[in-house]
Amino acid sequence: MIGERFITSIGAGAVRVTQEVGGIFVLTGQVLRALVPPRIDGRELVKNLYKMGNKSVPIVVLTAFFAGALMMLQAGPFVKKFGATALAGWGAGYAVLREIGPILIALMFSGRVGANNTAELSTMTVTEQLDGLRALAIDPIRFLVVPRVIAMMVMLLALTVIGDLVALLGASIIGKLMLGIDWSTLYHSFRDNLKPYDFLHGIYKSVAFGAAIAVSSCYFGVTVRGGAVGVGRAVNAAVVAAAVSIMLIDFFLTYLTG
Amino acid sequence: MTGFITSLGSAAISAYRAAIELWLVYVGTISGIVRGLQRKGARNRGEVWRQLYSIGNRSLLFIVVTLGFIGMVMTYQACLQLGRVTGDYSQVGSQFLRLIVSDFGPTLTGLMLATRVGAGIAAEIGSMKVTEQIDALRMSGVLPIDYLIVPRFVASIVMTLMLSILGGVVMWRAGGLTAEYSFNVNPNTFYDLSFVRFRHVAMFVVKALAYGAAIPVVAGFCGLRARGSSEGVGWATTAAVIGSSFAVIVLDFIISASALFLTGGDL
Amino acid sequence: MTAYIEFKGVTKAFSGKPVLRGMNLAVAKGEVMFIIGTSGVGKSVTIKHLIGLLRIDDGEIWFDGQRIDTLPERAMAPLRKRIGMVFQSSTLFDSMTLAENVALPLRKHQRMSHAAALAEAKQRLAQVQMDDYADRYPAELSDGMRKRAAIARTLALSPEVVLFDEPTTGLDPVSARRVDRLIRELAEKLGVTAIVVSHDPPSIFGVADRVAFLYQGVVHAVATPAELKASPDPVVQQFITGQSSGPMETPGF
Repeated sequence: MIGERFITSIGAGAVRVTQEVGGIFVLTGQVLRALVPPRIDGRELVKNLYKMGNKSVPIVVLTAFFAGALMMLQAGPFVKKFGATALAGWGAGYAVLREIGPILIALMFSGRVGANNTAELSTMTVTEQLDGLRALAIDPIRFLVVPRVIAMMVMLLALTVIGDLVALLGASIIGKLMLGIDWSTLYHSFRDNLKPYDFLHGIYKSVAFGAAIAVSSCYFGVTVRGGAVGVGRAVNAAVVAAAVSIMLIDFFLTYLTG
Repeated sequence: MTGFITSLGSAAISAYRAAIELWLVYVGTISGIVRGLQRKGARNRGEVWRQLYSIGNRSLLFIVVTLGFIGMVMTYQACLQLGRVTGDYSQVGSQFLRLIVSDFGPTLTGLMLATRVGAGIAAEIGSMKVTEQIDALRMSGVLPIDYLIVPRFVASIVMTLMLSILGGVVMWRAGGLTAEYSFNVNPNTFYDLSFVRFRHVAMFVVKALAYGAAIPVVAGFCGLRARGSSEGVGWATTAAVIGSSFAVIVLDFIISASALFLTGGDL
Repeated sequence: MTAYIEFKGVTKAFSGKPVLRGMNLAVAKGEVMFIIGTSGVGKSVTIKHLIGLLRIDDGEIWFDGQRIDTLPERAMAPLRKRIGMVFQSSTLFDSMTLAENVALPLRKHQRMSHAAALAEAKQRLAQVQMDDYADRYPAELSDGMRKRAAIARTLALSPEVVLFDEPTTGLDPVSARRVDRLIRELAEKLGVTAIVVSHDPPSIFGVADRVAFLYQGVVHAVATPAELKASPDPVVQQFITGQSSGPMETPGF
């Protein structure tokens, strides 16, 4: 009997997930269609860029710093034990640039900007502002969603670049302070062992993450139902969807681009 | 210039106030647990079970999927890089396991739960706050912290630990499969427990418990602070996700650094 | 003479529950038509169909000699410039000042520069006596003020028809009467056709040219306010005089 309910709930959950994934793809299509020809509301775009950047820079920078530091904490002692301090920078840096940096920054971005965006859009939907736009013959997708998607993708890209550098800085500081590895060793370690492609690999991912976070965040915002409770649920769904997408995309991109 | 300093100062003050409030919520939660234990036939057991289900069962698939994929990716990246530098895959499995136990297992699970559970708790409590149900609770003589946060606190600690174990196992297995099929690493070589020490297991448990404790306190705090209507709930949920995620990362750093310190630099 | 706006046998159900059951209504050009009825009977639903925010299940809707219920979403834009709607919750955009709110449709549809649109917007706000608040945000203002600003925004594109969804609900009596006067002026001075959903008796009897009483999914009666007041129909009488008990069925109460 318990098994039956369990299976039913999995089935219901699967149907709901399929609906949501389908809806997200539909929204992606609408966004892409609105880009051709690109008549985007410039003011909205700038407004969103400013707002999202403002909100997210501090937290992302902090997170990146800690992420880099953590990686060094893990890689450093190991490398030191084997006397290969020259590889310390490689050990921490490689992981940071390719994986930890882009993923953690994307997760933080999703929590800070993505969730906020969903909250804003769902509040607007619940208070009929979206219908208000339609009644004025203004397409909400073109006016609201597209500028936000573009702003989020651009912002995440910029943040990943900045974050990567800060993470390397964090790793270096910890390397020096806690493990006694000096600056020049670290610098040479980074320079000799990390290739530009390692950096780019992370950047490609951040573009894909940005797209996933942006579209799912907007989707759950505009399809919200039911007042204050609905808003909370929409934000919850958006961050979970973003987290899963990030992991899945990371997996596929890693295998595809090595 | 003065404007900048003023805003910095007021930001610091409000951060300080928020930190105090957060601490108070934490203290309130602990004393709520103590109070609950003192009462014979603790009355909120049903709620704890419900929260265990809500947090555990509903996050199960989410954790398995996300940690599985990340385990595969990490192993892939590590093997790729090792192939470039040394070509020796013999240590990958054992080191990967050490990392999973001492760090990635609990931390990644913690981050995922911070998103899912943190948002969920803040959304629930936040909606209750703006629809004035919290005030209604107070009027009927029930402490919101006792009724709402304590059960979630207990459930979260238990579930975070269990899900971290599950997540770690899934990561390990997924990593092993990746190493086996993409890099032809012998499973016997990969599944090597020899590098895992007691201190790693200790770190695992401490981290999982710390994250499990932090997430509901931070999320509940944000939920209780919600103001307005739908906007307030949106804000509370956002703040909870960010706050819990950041708490997990900071706790990870503190615990890892302390462990490093205590063991004299030998991890 | 064909009506300017016409609903023919309009049927609409939500999740299996029928709301409109073959509703018929004709609105003449330039008249102020009030739609009244109990809560949930389908008044707002009716007017939302006119601008395509909802789609009917069956029936026809005609505007100015053209059938509009079959238009796809993309073709709705020209229609929405001719028929404006003032929502119950005012729906001003929180992130913009009043002037920016009113300027938005001007910017988008009349290709004005931002500065020109703002100037024009301030003039429109002056028409509803809100120009002093042009640079304030909606959250800072009272309901009555927001409602007037919302009307100014809807009027920005000079629509021929304006739909009002409970314009005076929740307003204090003075603000409510000011809104009433605005609606009356629109019809008399600008020739705007107004369809107003309301259950506010002073509005109904002070402003309407004709009143349509929606009951059980159809237009139970349509007449001038005076005729309605004198109606022998017991259901109409119960609503008009506001009795809690009588022959009216009020499902779900």
